[in-house]
Amino acid sequence: MTTAETLTASLEDYLEAIFHIIAEKRAARPKDIARRLKVSNPSVTGALRLLAKKKLVNYAPYDLVTLTGKGEEAARDVIRRHEVLRDFFVKVLAVEQDVADKAACKMEHSIPGVILERFIQFAEFVEVCPRGGSKWIAGFGYHCDYDSAMENCEKCIAQALEEVKKKKRQGGKKKMPVTKLKDIPPGGKCKVNRVAAGKASSRIIEMGVVPGALIEVEKIAPLGDPIDIKVKGYHLSLRKEEADGIDVTPLNAR
Amino acid sequence: MRPKITVALAGNPNSGKTTIFNNLTGTRQHVGNYPGVTVERKEGRCRHAGVDIHLVDLPGTYSLTAYSAEEVVARNFIIDEKPDVVVDIIDASNLERNLYLAVQLMELGVPLVLVFNMSDQARARGYQFDLDKLSRFFGARIVETVGHKGHGMQQLLEAVVATAREQDCAEAQPKSGGNLACRASIRGPQASDGRIDYGPDIEAELEKLTDLLRQSGFSGPKYNPRWLALKLLENDKEIRSQIKSPRLLERVDQSRERIEKRTGENPESVIAGRRYGFISGACQQAVRSTIEIRHTISDRIDAVMTNRVLGLPVFLAMMYLVFYLTFTIGDPPMDWIEEFFGWLGSSVDTLWPADSVLKSLVTDGIIGGVGGVVIFLPNILLLFLAIAILEDTGYMARAAFIMDRLMHKIGLHGKSFIPMLIGFGCSVPAIMATRTLENRRDRLVTMLVVPLMSCGARLPIYALIIPAFFPKAWHAPMLWIIYMIGILLAIASAKLLRSTILRGESVPFVMELPPYRLPTVRSVLLHMWERGWLYLRKAGTVILGISIVLWAMTNFPGLSPKQQAEFEKQRQMVENSFRSEPQKAAALLEEIDNRRAEAALESSIAGRIGRLMEPLLRPMGFDWKIGTALIGAFAAKEVFVAQMGIVYAVGEADEESESLRSKLQNNYSPLVGFCIMLFCLVSAPCMATIAITRRESNSWKWALFQLGGLTALAYVLTACVYLGGRLLGLGI
Repeated sequence: MTTAETLTASLEDYLEAIFHIIAEKRAARPKDIARRLKVSNPSVTGALRLLAKKKLVNYAPYDLVTLTGKGEEAARDVIRRHEVLRDFFVKVLAVEQDVADKAACKMEHSIPGVILERFIQFAEFVEVCPRGGSKWIAGFGYHCDYDSAMENCEKCIAQALEEVKKKKRQGGKKKMPVTKLKDIPPGGKCKVNRVAAGKASSRIIEMGVVPGALIEVEKIAPLGDPIDIKVKGYHLSLRKEEADGIDVTPLNAR
Repeated sequence: MRPKITVALAGNPNSGKTTIFNNLTGTRQHVGNYPGVTVERKEGRCRHAGVDIHLVDLPGTYSLTAYSAEEVVARNFIIDEKPDVVVDIIDASNLERNLYLAVQLMELGVPLVLVFNMSDQARARGYQFDLDKLSRFFGARIVETVGHKGHGMQQLLEAVVATAREQDCAEAQPKSGGNLACRASIRGPQASDGRIDYGPDIEAELEKLTDLLRQSGFSGPKYNPRWLALKLLENDKEIRSQIKSPRLLERVDQSRERIEKRTGENPESVIAGRRYGFISGACQQAVRSTIEIRHTISDRIDAVMTNRVLGLPVFLAMMYLVFYLTFTIGDPPMDWIEEFFGWLGSSVDTLWPADSVLKSLVTDGIIGGVGGVVIFLPNILLLFLAIAILEDTGYMARAAFIMDRLMHKIGLHGKSFIPMLIGFGCSVPAIMATRTLENRRDRLVTMLVVPLMSCGARLPIYALIIPAFFPKAWHAPMLWIIYMIGILLAIASAKLLRSTILRGESVPFVMELPPYRLPTVRSVLLHMWERGWLYLRKAGTVILGISIVLWAMTNFPGLSPKQQAEFEKQRQMVENSFRSEPQKAAALLEEIDNRRAEAALESSIAGRIGRLMEPLLRPMGFDWKIGTALIGAFAAKEVFVAQMGIVYAVGEADEESESLRSKLQNNYSPLVGFCIMLFCLVSAPCMATIAITRRESNSWKWALFQLGGLTALAYVLTACVYLGGRLLGLGI
């Protein structure tokens, strides 16, 4: 990420904001950016000039702002760092959502890639490892709040063992909880993370539902099955069973 | 420059491709089929700047993978027949998705012209295109058109001819940089080389595979090795099946695994993502969006049409309209046709001096047969008028969207609903309506079960039998029961077929809901005309042939001279002895004629087959008379009633005939009456249905399977009902 490394924290914030605004409205206006970041209009103009110089945004005075390919990549990178950090704070450190968000906002600009990857791996490990898991995290939360977590240790370990056995019997591996496209209610927006390989996957991908694409769920059919989504500016219908193979990140206007 | 070039029209469905094809060729077009598949092949010609242009309208596709028969056909046409220019019609108001096909065409390395169609709508939506820039990205000329107004057609032809010229120039000097040199001379040094950077992970594997393919000498002049390698990474079944070396396939699988490991996604997904990346990069630089429309008019229409509450009533109302248009409005012209052929038959009958076999062949066989073909034409034309309007406005996709839940339950696609519904009117147009289904398996299943939807021609049979055997309070419920049996059997058979001989994963419902558009009168009428003509030309001949065979079966060998003489003698006797009472004489003569007709039918081939089959028909409670009438009913279901009239010597009978009803009551039990209805509902559809199934499935195998399968089902079912009913003592 050579481009991203040379950006200042505030420019990264701008990129992130522009990306989110585009996700919602297709193109960003300087005043939207100013409102979102709570800064003045002139400082937005200044920042946009700088970003345009680095060829990260397409910008001309009084015109809509869009990201260049390079800009989008950089913005995605910032957002990814933000999400990883926030998730780590919430899922592993049991911090409240908005506190985590704020902290992630500050830390996202300076965290090196290697450490970031380790954060992800650690979070995954905690999820999957029988000695970790959500109960363990809950126990950690209890420890933070009450400072007396040692009394139940034997019981807890016995429980963990029991669960390992159970899992072995079922033969399944615990999976990370993911949001599927079919879980997004009508009117909701989301971003595609992954399209699971399946019979329809290649067609779904060709129709523009590629990782990173933005989707708006428009409506559900009267009988409750196929859903109507908007992707790349047009309407596409999918059965719920097909939408089940699409992992997404819900996007809520913050 | 050669005087004649071949140009292929490619493009997404709903991009206005057909309109442009019609604009360019007018009526100089020809519809055929691609060999071996039921994909339509449309060709036409036009002239521009002294060049004869042979246009081939490829099936509308979103991509060039081997996903559907249409895509394979489109791709193979481009690869095998090497058109001089490929024109990709693009809906400019839906640019990104439409450009996906353009990217694939660019990767194939064909001489390409991009057409930004519906550019007026794109402009209304606030898009501004930098065509020069886009043209450099895609290495192709770009023309803006408005298909339904005919704007931009000359520019399009100019671009096509210019691209073909360039190609010639490239071929003339292959050593000096070939194609690129020529393109560069015309379009400047920045012309694209038709390559997309797929990122380090994929590029590394691509390079390895490309080398491998080159070494194994597989590429050749037909395929470009990079393209081939890319298709293999995409797991393209069609291309994979052409690679015979298992070692090579193993290497491909290894490459795919490596990509999956490195990127965490399957290679198809990564490759498609990169293609879309290329497109959005190009669009970001060359397309500006000046206004922002959150809800288009189309979205507002959809707020009603596919509304959770209103969607279903609106859909049912639309279906009622289609049904009304096809059958209620189609009824008077059908009567006219019937009357006309009746008149023609009788006038030939009176003008023809003497009774002869030839006369009977002409009046009953040929005129009757042609009438039997033409009679369906009003239905077919009106149905396809309705379907063309539904398709062109974009409602068809919504209809499928609304009905998919129901149809998916029986393993079919939402689009199967309309043919099934039309089946209640007549199976022939219904089977033609299955053309809207893209998947062959779905289409076949729908075609095979459509005859179980009780068609209008079976109604006279029910109308004859129900009042004859059942009390008045039972009339309506009985009719309802018969229709329900048909529907339930259709559902069960569809499920059965889907899980046995036509097994396969159900087709994903990944379908575009195109924006609503106003259809043009020209394209709707052209579509209607095409279907009507296709029916007359292809199915009509088969129907005519079968009806002549059936005529022969019910007329030959006819009465023996001895029987003839016997009936003549009787006539003479009546005429002589009732000279003073002409009314009585007429009644007696008619009775003799009726008995004569009965005797003739009994001794005909059909009658003999009926007699021969009697032991076989016994388990269903039928005698040879019903058997003979059933053979006649193969011409058209309602003929059953007339044939029963003849075998019971009541003369010209229709479903209101009380004398025939009383004959039936005297000879059969209500159980047999029900069995007749059941058998007529399920058994062998009429010959027109078989002919159209043969035509639409493109094989006699399926047509005969339909005939045999339904008859066997009817036989088993009716026998079970009859024997079961006897055992339980019901309706004896």
